[in-house]
Amino acid sequence: MNVTPPKSLGELFLGFLSIGARSFGGVMPWAHRVMVEERRWVDEADFAETIGLCQFLPGPNVGNASIVYGKRWFGLAGALVAFLGLFALPFVWVLALFALYADFAATNPTLRAVVTGVGAAGAGMFIGTAVKLGRVLARRPAALALIATCFLAAGIGRVSLFFVLPVSLAIAIFCARRGLL
Amino acid sequence: MTLLELTLYFMLLSLISVGGMPSVLPELQRYAVDVKQWVTPQEFIQIFAVGQAAPGPNVLIAALIGWKVAGLAGALLALAGMCGPAAVLAWWVADLWDRFKGSPWRTAIQRAIAPIVVGFILSGGFILATPGTPDWRLWAIAAATAAGMLLTRINPLWFLAAGGAIGGLLLS
Repeated sequence: MNVTPPKSLGELFLGFLSIGARSFGGVMPWAHRVMVEERRWVDEADFAETIGLCQFLPGPNVGNASIVYGKRWFGLAGALVAFLGLFALPFVWVLALFALYADFAATNPTLRAVVTGVGAAGAGMFIGTAVKLGRVLARRPAALALIATCFLAAGIGRVSLFFVLPVSLAIAIFCARRGLL
Repeated sequence: MTLLELTLYFMLLSLISVGGMPSVLPELQRYAVDVKQWVTPQEFIQIFAVGQAAPGPNVLIAALIGWKVAGLAGALLALAGMCGPAAVLAWWVADLWDRFKGSPWRTAIQRAIAPIVVGFILSGGFILATPGTPDWRLWAIAAATAAGMLLTRINPLWFLAAGGAIGGLLLS
């Protein structure tokens, strides 16, 4: 496949703008569509590798990817431009939507009920995602034990992640080095 | 003072947000609702819902919390705080990560993070579906959505729409 990186900061900005603008129901599929299929900035393998890295890093996956690719093509200016392009429209839209919602929700209990229902469905999507990702890992007892412990500590016990993350990460890296994960 | 606190908190949250916003949702809820009382548990699920329904990365939930606390300045600072430290890390690590391709430590870290992220995302889902006292109606919507997502290949936006419709019928 012929890969042609963006030629200008303007092109980079517009590409990420169009990812952000259309990213209903998740940014990742749109990032793939724009960068790999439509504009052919990168190939499949490159995209998968970069997203893999960004999933391991803290922070929003595609936000991090905008930094990594922006840096690769245009240095600091590229990283900033790609990041701003990605967030510009969604930022405005989410605030507008929320302002609109807050306005109507004050007097309308049905609207509040509908939005709470959307939230519960969103919660279900998280649970579904966790099961999807967890199924692959669950063959290892140590992985299952880690998932359960993290859930009990963070979800049920409401222990701060600032404590749970470092502790569980230390245990998990130890297990991984022993070949248990 | 609140602005400073808000920004610093999101900067810290940014650094532990391995796996993105879903992973740190339990922590954000704990702090914004339980500790600081910036928003009520019911508002939190509604903020989350608006964030899910709007296009864009789901870190925008940070902007909405900031907006609730301190208006536009709060929204901008919360989002910048949530993305900034992680972005700086991505900037530095990208090259390093390539260099350590095939290193046993890189593999160990990748393997170690996966189950932890799953545990946190699960926690986030559970906490969102349980604002205040457990409510079977919210759990039913969440369970049905999770099942639908695992068993079908329907666009997730339809589940959000269905959740809204069922919520309108059952919850009002």
